[in-house]
Amino acid sequence: MLTATQPQSVSNTRRRFDAQVVSNTSVCREHFCLTLGIDPDERGPFPATRPGQFIQLGCQPATLLRRPFSLAGRKDLAEGRVELQIVYRVVGVGTRWLAQLQAGDTTDLLGPLGNQFQLPEGKSLGLLVGGGVGLPPMFYLAEALKQAHWDAVAFVGALTEDLLAVTFGGSEPAESSGEPSLCIEEFSKLSIASAVTTDDGSVGLAGRITAGLERYFDTLSEEDRQRVVLFTCGPHPMLHAAAKLAQKHGVDCQVCLEQAMACGMGTCQSCIVQIAEPDNPQGTTEDGRPWRYRLTCTDGPVFNADQVIF
Amino acid sequence: MTKSVSQESPCLAVNLAGLKLANPMMTASGTCGYAYEYQDFVDLHQLGAFVTKSISRDPRPGNPATRIVETPSGMMNAIGLANVGLDVFLAEKLDQLKQMRQGGPALIVNVAGHSIDDYVAVAGRIAQEQEVDAVELNVSCPNVGDGLTFGTDPKLLKELIGYVRKAMRADCKLIVQLSPNVGDITLTAGAAIDGGANILSMINTYTALAIDIKTRKPRIANGTGGLSGPAIRPLAVYLVSRVYREVAQKAGVPIIGMGGIRTWSDAAEFLIAGATGLAVGTSLFADPATPVNIMAGLESYLAEQDMSSITELIGTLEMPVR
Repeated sequence: MLTATQPQSVSNTRRRFDAQVVSNTSVCREHFCLTLGIDPDERGPFPATRPGQFIQLGCQPATLLRRPFSLAGRKDLAEGRVELQIVYRVVGVGTRWLAQLQAGDTTDLLGPLGNQFQLPEGKSLGLLVGGGVGLPPMFYLAEALKQAHWDAVAFVGALTEDLLAVTFGGSEPAESSGEPSLCIEEFSKLSIASAVTTDDGSVGLAGRITAGLERYFDTLSEEDRQRVVLFTCGPHPMLHAAAKLAQKHGVDCQVCLEQAMACGMGTCQSCIVQIAEPDNPQGTTEDGRPWRYRLTCTDGPVFNADQVIF
Repeated sequence: MTKSVSQESPCLAVNLAGLKLANPMMTASGTCGYAYEYQDFVDLHQLGAFVTKSISRDPRPGNPATRIVETPSGMMNAIGLANVGLDVFLAEKLDQLKQMRQGGPALIVNVAGHSIDDYVAVAGRIAQEQEVDAVELNVSCPNVGDGLTFGTDPKLLKELIGYVRKAMRADCKLIVQLSPNVGDITLTAGAAIDGGANILSMINTYTALAIDIKTRKPRIANGTGGLSGPAIRPLAVYLVSRVYREVAQKAGVPIIGMGGIRTWSDAAEFLIAGATGLAVGTSLFADPATPVNIMAGLESYLAEQDMSSITELIGTLEMPVR
C-alpha cells in the first residue's frame, strides 16, 4: 500500500525488475540460499511483499521459462534498494544454472506474484509446518508473525539431516520427545522454538513431520488450541497429512501450494488445483465434492486447506 | 531515384487483407488470457492486434494437471482449451476487450469447436460484435463426428470455412490458423483460401511427446502435448515461406507468422519468409513485454536496411534456384 511518505509517482504494481546476485551460498546438500539485490526502477522500488508471495526468476539462457520461488525473506535498504531471499534445491536445468551464479552476476525477475498467508483476527498462535523446499516461506512468515505479536512454533522436516535447509545452533534438537526447542537459527533469532523430524531419524524425531505435530497437539491446552492457525508448505502428501491433522484438532489451516507453471501471471492456465466449490462447479470428486480448477499463481499459492481437493 | 533519408522511424504499419494495424505485433492465442491479464507488465495498447484465447460454445474446464512441461528451447502444453465459454465471454470479457481496442490494437477473437455447428455458432455470434475485427479459427481440434482433425483434412477444412465465412459479418475478417501436423501444408493452406479465409495464421503447435523415464508415462497428463517456443522456429519459418511462395502470395492472402518468436531478428526472419503479421506466444510467459521490445529492434533493423516501411521487407527471401 502507498504511504504518505512515498512520492506519488511510486508504483506498487508488480512488474519486471533487474536483479543482482548479492550472495548465493550452499545451505546443505543440493540446497542454496540466494540473495538478490533490486534497485528501484523509474516507477520506484520493488513493491511491498507478504509471506506466501513468490517471484518468477529468469534462468536464461539455461531455460526458456522462468522458475517460481517463494520468498524466504526481504530486507529494505537505503535509497529504495530491496534484497530478496530465496532458498532453492537443485532439481533441474534451471536450478543448476542458478547454483553457479556468483555475487555480482545479474538476472531479472517478475514480481511480486500470488496471494499471501492470512493472519485471522482472534488467532495468535502460528504453527509453521515446512517440509523440504516448503521451508523458505516459513522463514518469511515467522518474521511477519513476530511483527504481529503472534506466538509461533516451527515444525521442520526432511528426509535426512543433510537435506534440511536450516542453520542449526543454540539448543540440540530433541530426539525422542519431539519437544520444540531453540535449535534452528532462522526461527530461534525470533524466539521461535522448532521441532525437527527426519524420515531416517538422522536428526530430531524419527518419522514424518506430522509425528512431531501430533505430539504437540497432545500437549496443547484447549485455550491455546483456540488460538492456533496451522501454516504449511511442502510436498503434497505432507500438506494433505497436515491438513487432516488440523481438521482432526479443529484448527484453521492454510496451505501454500507448489505447481509447475509457465507464466505465474494467470494466463498460461497450467498451474491448476482443484478447489472445493459448491456454486458453479466444473466437476465432482468420487466422494461427491464439487470442485472447480483454480490457478496456483493468481488464486493462490495460499489456500484454506479445507477447500483444497488433495 | 534515391530513397529519402529521413530521421523518422521506419513505418511499422501493415495491412492484413484490409485490416489496418499500427504494427505487425500480436499476441498468440492462448498465451495472453482474455484481455488485461498482462497489463501490469506491458502496455497492451502498443500491440498491433490482441488475440484472445480460444473460445468454445460451452465452458471447458480443460485437462487435468500436469498441463505443461519445458523441453529444450521449447515447451509442451495440453491445456485442453480451458475457457469460460461463449456466453460468459460475451457477458464478462468482451467489454474489457472493446475498451482495449479503443486504445489501439485490433481485436481478434480465437474460436475453437468440435463440430461445424460449434464453429458456426460461436464465430457467427462473435462476429456480430462490430468491435471484433477478425475471428481466428483454431482448427486443430478433432471433429466429434468422425474424429478427423479439421485442420489436417483439406476437404473438411474447406467445408468448415465455407460455412463459417457465410455465418460471419462480411467486414469481419476470417483468419484460419494452420496446423503443422500435416504432410503437405500447402494443401490445407489452399483449402482454407478456397473456403474463404481472408488471412492465414501459421503455425499452431507441433504434436509432441515427453516421457518420464522413471514411471514410463507421458510427462503431460493428456499424453501428448503441443510443442511451441524457439525449438519450432526454423520449422515455422520454413512453412511460412512455402505457403507464401506456393499458395498465399498469388491468392493475395496475407500470413500471420508465429512459432518461437522471441527477438526482433526472429521476427525479421518471418517477415522475410512472407509473413505480414507476427504473433508472439510462448515468450510472453517469460516476458509479456516481448512484442513491444521486438518493435524497437525491428525499427532499428529496417533503418539499417534503408527501408522506410516494414512492408518493403515482407517476402523478400532469396531462395537458391534449383
